[in-house]
Amino acid sequence: MAEIKLDVFRYDEGVDAVPHRDLVTVDLPETTTVLDALEAAKAQVDGSISFRRSCRSAICGSCAMNINGVTALACKTPCNTVTNENGAISVDPMPNFQPMKDLVVHMDPFWDKYTRLKPYLQPADRDADHDRERRVSPEDMKKLVAVANCIMCATCYALCPVVSVDPAFAGPAAIAYAYRFIEDVRDGRRDQRIAQISEDYLWLCAHCYACSYCPKHVDPHDRIVDVKRAAIKDRVMMNERGPRHALVVSKTIKQTGMLAETEVILGTVGRFNIVGLLKTAPLGLRMAAKGKMPPPFVKPIPKVDEVRTIFESLEVPVS
Amino acid sequence: MTTLLPEDRAVDSHARSKSAEMRKYGFFPGCVAKESCKELFNSTMLLADALGIELVELTAASCCGASVVNDTNRDIARVLNARTYAQAEALGLDDVITICSTCTGHMRAANKELLESPEHLGQANAILGKFGTAYNGTVRVRHLLWLLIDDIGLDNLRKMVVRPLNGLKVAPFYGCHIIRPESVNGWESARNPHSLEDVIAALGGEPVDYAGKTRCCGFHIQLEKEDVAANMVGQNMRMAKDHGAEAVITPCPLCHLALDGYQQDAAARWGRTDLPTFHLPQLVAFALGVPTDRLGLNKHLIDPRTIMVERELIS
Ligand code: SF4
Ligand code: SF4
Ligand code: SF4
Ligand code: SF4
Ligand code: FES
Repeated sequence: MAEIKLDVFRYDEGVDAVPHRDLVTVDLPETTTVLDALEAAKAQVDGSISFRRSCRSAICGSCAMNINGVTALACKTPCNTVTNENGAISVDPMPNFQPMKDLVVHMDPFWDKYTRLKPYLQPADRDADHDRERRVSPEDMKKLVAVANCIMCATCYALCPVVSVDPAFAGPAAIAYAYRFIEDVRDGRRDQRIAQISEDYLWLCAHCYACSYCPKHVDPHDRIVDVKRAAIKDRVMMNERGPRHALVVSKTIKQTGMLAETEVILGTVGRFNIVGLLKTAPLGLRMAAKGKMPPPFVKPIPKVDEVRTIFESLEVPVS
Repeated sequence: MTTLLPEDRAVDSHARSKSAEMRKYGFFPGCVAKESCKELFNSTMLLADALGIELVELTAASCCGASVVNDTNRDIARVLNARTYAQAEALGLDDVITICSTCTGHMRAANKELLESPEHLGQANAILGKFGTAYNGTVRVRHLLWLLIDDIGLDNLRKMVVRPLNGLKVAPFYGCHIIRPESVNGWESARNPHSLEDVIAALGGEPVDYAGKTRCCGFHIQLEKEDVAANMVGQNMRMAKDHGAEAVITPCPLCHLALDGYQQDAAARWGRTDLPTFHLPQLVAFALGVPTDRLGLNKHLIDPRTIMVERELIS
């Protein structure tokens, strides 16, 4: 047995003006999970400590919280792996959410973004009167298995830096779940789904891989890239900056072997979009004043033909 | 949890066997160091001289594809980078040294796929074969930061310092792709990295700890939604400033463009931070005695020379 100290964030939104912390000690084997330690604290020390849990085995997705500053499932985190310098384990509500009571947060923004996906299969022929199965080949199913493992714990959403400054961003889990339907051969709303998730800022992912800490290995970031590829393949919402950016980057690399910064800015913002260009102008002017402007034209690298051969062999879209 | 790629396990013995002669490395500067951050390229070459290593630029290399070409095709980045690695092999070089976090992450991801999947290597070589090239899978992609620690060594670095930083409080800013995802990088813990801190301390500076050091600078969405990108800079620089930082150091020119460029725009929401940002090689080269006027510090929007004068590092 070991003495496990929990340093618990305490707050009740209807009652407290500001949060405070309680240090709670329980005697348990050191390999106990943080969730079991919280359960013991609630049962033996203070029944008012609030947190969400159900399955206790990383299936229901209820117990994500910050453990020593790191967002994780409490039921999947053994205490002896997380004790901090003070010999305690700090537990806090997930970031990017409004705290409700102690470790419980308001999940509504997360669920709203999920609901907007219409997260159920909508076959094109769903009204048809038929009695056959809708079959999926093993290869087609393989693409969906990882995403289907998502338990909606919101760990990724809590970790996402874009969500933290722009709550309009759909966030990693919703985009990954959109992929789950976009790539499902039984679904009949592929392009509408791509359009909807593009409107919810598909292209605002900053590629930071913070969401790679998903406890179920969904790898939301890589699914986001898959959805972007689907958007370009189906040519959905192609006038948005995101797809224009991807295509002009590809184009300049194909032409010069390099990412030609000036051309990429013009191509993304829009050569004739004077307002848009003026908006990027203040920084541009500040940089120009320091002699720090990218060159207007980039000289092609030696043997750039080889690069073009690669682009052509793979039939990479550049416009 | 640190996972090493098979290619990295050999680093120690490899570094030792090299130490006798002048160490020679393949060098991939990346586009930004050749375009809007030329001061990074120049200070890297000066640093190499000061360290006594030779960086052989792969002049025919293409862009690594950053996080963008992947959006158009799932194979393109892998094959483009196979072409670059083949050039290093042709020169007899098994290291490709990068000076950009984004290059590091994406080039390592491509190499990992090429080394782990015969199918991917075969596909790449089928295309490279059209112009008489092949990649044999012998290259390792490493950031200059890792070279400093693994091959030069912190003790040696400390001994080479002729202009110590006098306790200048420097906030490390890693950027994402030199640490995440851990399955691709894995050189150090992505949640508790300390390589930059170690280098800062070796140079006589005082590393500043703050949560923003491993968060994203928003570079890749600047053109998508500029205010969001600026806010990501503001949020991180606010944390650095509140923890006492006087300057920032980053191993990534994209982060540099973001941090140096957008603090001003973020000030409305996050308050003024005005933290000057050094490229990693600039600050190391300075401490090793490279003349200050050759480091391109005058190219930064927030001029680092102000704090350097204040802290009596330069006059
Ligand atoms: S993707 Fe992973 S981290 Fe995100 S909600 Fe689903 S299971 Fe949780
Ligand atoms: S990779 Fe994209 S979705 Fe994932 S955390 Fe970063 S910004 Fe958010
Ligand atoms: S990541 Fe950036 S610097 Fe590196 S090669 Fe690609 S565009 Fe260039
Ligand atoms: S911090 Fe931003 S620019 Fe720097 S590597 Fe990460 S995503 Fe790229
Ligand atoms: S209690 Fe269900 S995931 Fe932790």
